[in-house]
Amino acid sequence: MSIVVVLVSLAAGAYVLAVIERWAVQGHLSLTGPAWAALALLGRESLLARKSDRLFFELGPVLLLVAGLMAVAVIPLAPGLIITDLATGALFLNAALAYVLVALIMAGWGPNGAYAMIAGWRFLGQFIAYAMLIVMPITAVAMRAESLSTVEIVASQAQLWNVLYQPMGFALFVVAAMGLAWLPPLDLPDAAGELAGGVEAEYTGVRLAVLRLARMVIILALAGATVTFYLGGWLGPWLPPWGWSAIKILAVAAAMLSVGRYMPRIREARYLALSWKLGISLALANIFVVGVIALVVPI
Amino acid sequence: MTVQMIFLAFFGGAALWFGVVVFRTHSMVRSALALLFSQTAIGAMFLVMQAEFLGVLQIMMMATEMSVMAIFMVMFMMDPGGMGKMDMTHQKRLSLWAGGIGLLAALLLVWLPDWGPVALSVPGAHEQAADLGRELLGRSMFIFQSAGLTILTAMIAATMVAIVPNAEQRK
Repeated sequence: MSIVVVLVSLAAGAYVLAVIERWAVQGHLSLTGPAWAALALLGRESLLARKSDRLFFELGPVLLLVAGLMAVAVIPLAPGLIITDLATGALFLNAALAYVLVALIMAGWGPNGAYAMIAGWRFLGQFIAYAMLIVMPITAVAMRAESLSTVEIVASQAQLWNVLYQPMGFALFVVAAMGLAWLPPLDLPDAAGELAGGVEAEYTGVRLAVLRLARMVIILALAGATVTFYLGGWLGPWLPPWGWSAIKILAVAAAMLSVGRYMPRIREARYLALSWKLGISLALANIFVVGVIALVVPI
Repeated sequence: MTVQMIFLAFFGGAALWFGVVVFRTHSMVRSALALLFSQTAIGAMFLVMQAEFLGVLQIMMMATEMSVMAIFMVMFMMDPGGMGKMDMTHQKRLSLWAGGIGLLAALLLVWLPDWGPVALSVPGAHEQAADLGRELLGRSMFIFQSAGLTILTAMIAATMVAIVPNAEQRK
């Protein structure tokens, strides 16, 4: 039963997110816009590049969607409303998101096009830049909860949300999440400015529709992870728990989508330098500070 | 128990099959990703055997490790896309002997020692993660820390050996 509810909410959430993205990018609100765009994509010819690696070309978008769905499986929307409450939930989320990298390499390598290939390998090059800043803040969150279970992590924030308890971890996690979902200003794997669409460049028709849907699911999964780890999950007064989850997740996703409008795209070398030198040091400091707080004043 | 055995055999078969694919394909990227899916199948076998933490860890670590390996294979090989039909196998006689002896050693290791009675109950996943943490920060801490330091040293040394000094540095 939980699976059906979560999947239906996911579909609805992806649609709302598409509306918000259109609003953030094009500046006008259209409730039916994404539906027409999806229909148009489904009706369009799905081109296949010459001498492509067909297997990877077809599997890339599908693996991306599967990775997103797997990540969603461990995000609790309300007490009891979770697909599977694993004892290693936070680690599992990481494992699922690691396959975003594999999917993008496949999608980049598959079509036998220079722009796509550079974009795919570039995402791998950025690996330390986002993956470490996802894993290390989660470590600090798990330290406070004394558990890797996402339900326990939400419960541990009953007194004080983690965004106040470990603000540095929150900031690092959100930036890394935007890098992982390749959202502007960190949208380097599809870099419209220089790589003409990057991994998306050679995809058309139904394959592009799957790729875009998968990306929406990943954005939702990461927004859900941010809410679960830092914004108290379903916790909140007056409204029912699922209501709080929905509001928080959509708000975080909308904020992530809007940032790109107000910031210039960051250069790849600068993003890498900042992540390696500053990001990892701050993430380690965050683990240390949280450890000290947890030992001295347990809240 | 039977369902568990069926899944275990399925993922075991998948791991072997992807292992074979590693050498049957001409493309470096396909080869690297086949190895990844072979390792992922082993992670799934851990999950079937109710070793949740190990399974999830295996599935997570291999995704990134094999991707990194793929880019190195593409960088260093002449024909990364396999368009020139490069053969992935070489030194066949030596490989066959090494593989055969390895298989024999693995089978002897499975059959010969006395593994003790089969565990009838498996501790819960929460308990396993906690036990693993105590083990890593207790008895096994020294081994793991020294292994980590050795690997780090090897990585730095390998990078230094691999960098070709330019004309200015050679002076």
